[in-house]
Amino acid sequence: MSEKKDLLTMFKVVAARVDKRAFDNVTKESVITELGIDSLSMMQIVGEMETELGIMIPDEDLVELITVGDLVTKIGARVEG
Amino acid sequence: MKTRLEERLYKEYITFFEKAERERRWNVFEDIPWDRVNKDAPEEMALCAETFCSVEMYLPDYVAQGINVVRPYFGNAWFQANWGYEESKHSLALGEYLMRSGKRTPEQMFDLHTKIFSKKWEMPFTTARQMTFYGCVQEMATFVIYVKHREMAAKHGDEALRTIYDFVARDEIAHTRFYQGVIKVLLEEDPEGTLADMAHVFANFEMPGVGLVPDYDSRILKMREAGIDRAVFIQKVYIPILKFLNVSRHDMLKAQSKAISEKRDREILKAAQSEEQGKAALISSNVPSA
Repeated sequence: MSEKKDLLTMFKVVAARVDKRAFDNVTKESVITELGIDSLSMMQIVGEMETELGIMIPDEDLVELITVGDLVTKIGARVEG
Repeated sequence: MKTRLEERLYKEYITFFEKAERERRWNVFEDIPWDRVNKDAPEEMALCAETFCSVEMYLPDYVAQGINVVRPYFGNAWFQANWGYEESKHSLALGEYLMRSGKRTPEQMFDLHTKIFSKKWEMPFTTARQMTFYGCVQEMATFVIYVKHREMAAKHGDEALRTIYDFVARDEIAHTRFYQGVIKVLLEEDPEGTLADMAHVFANFEMPGVGLVPDYDSRILKMREAGIDRAVFIQKVYIPILKFLNVSRHDMLKAQSKAISEKRDREILKAAQSEEQGKAALISSNVPSA
């Protein structure tokens, strides 16, 4: 649970760096498109998180990410794996 | 004297041009079944056609600036000239559709020309390589959008509009393939620099109509309703481009990080050198002359 919370915090920090605005109120239930993050910014955010965590998520797995929680879960599974 | 790179780029252009002449030339006035326009097609279809027509209307800006940035490369510059001809037909065909369907009057179209030309499109990136990759992404995205709208036109029984989208989609994927061919050559010539530029373009990409076409945001909402959303962009544009180029997302990001880090080091070095020069100048100005 605590690791997912850390990944959520990490998402907020990386997203703020990439999209140049704050994401303080983001939760796991937040829908990515409703945050105003476009597809290419999303790929950049994912890429930077992967680089920092030393993991790689297959490109095909990134297509169906709807919520921030979906992304955090996907990343968490790779970190644990 | 032509370099090896210029020879390879020229070969890409001639291959593209020969195939275009053989397989892809079409006539706005004779090859579209204008007698099969569906005048009762929904206004949303006309709005989308008008949006595409508007984006394509910045053609003089695209061509003028596009040719200048790639002019050192003969093949690329000549591709841009041909690209201009092909893209001009896209806007003309869609404009003809809007008037022949009765959805827009000639006066409305001339008003649109005036509004469009009151603003100027500026290149989003500064180098030939970055603009080539930008072209690759933009043409691929446009291809995907046109294919979707071809399906919609067919669904609404508008054979004229379906044919237009069919022709323009074929042109766009051919343009994408040319740009991909050039990027493949550039990846062989300078893999790290090209990868870093690709990452930079992806990170800062916007479609050309943003901030230019009147009411662009509301038009984009209509386009999203047609099913062109984030998942489609990743699945049908981003991933296929990288796959075709045999490049992984991670290679691109690694090259980008390295380029950013090297740029930062150069700036620190430059600042340190400036400071040293400043100190030296101050000392020598304080030393009394003999």
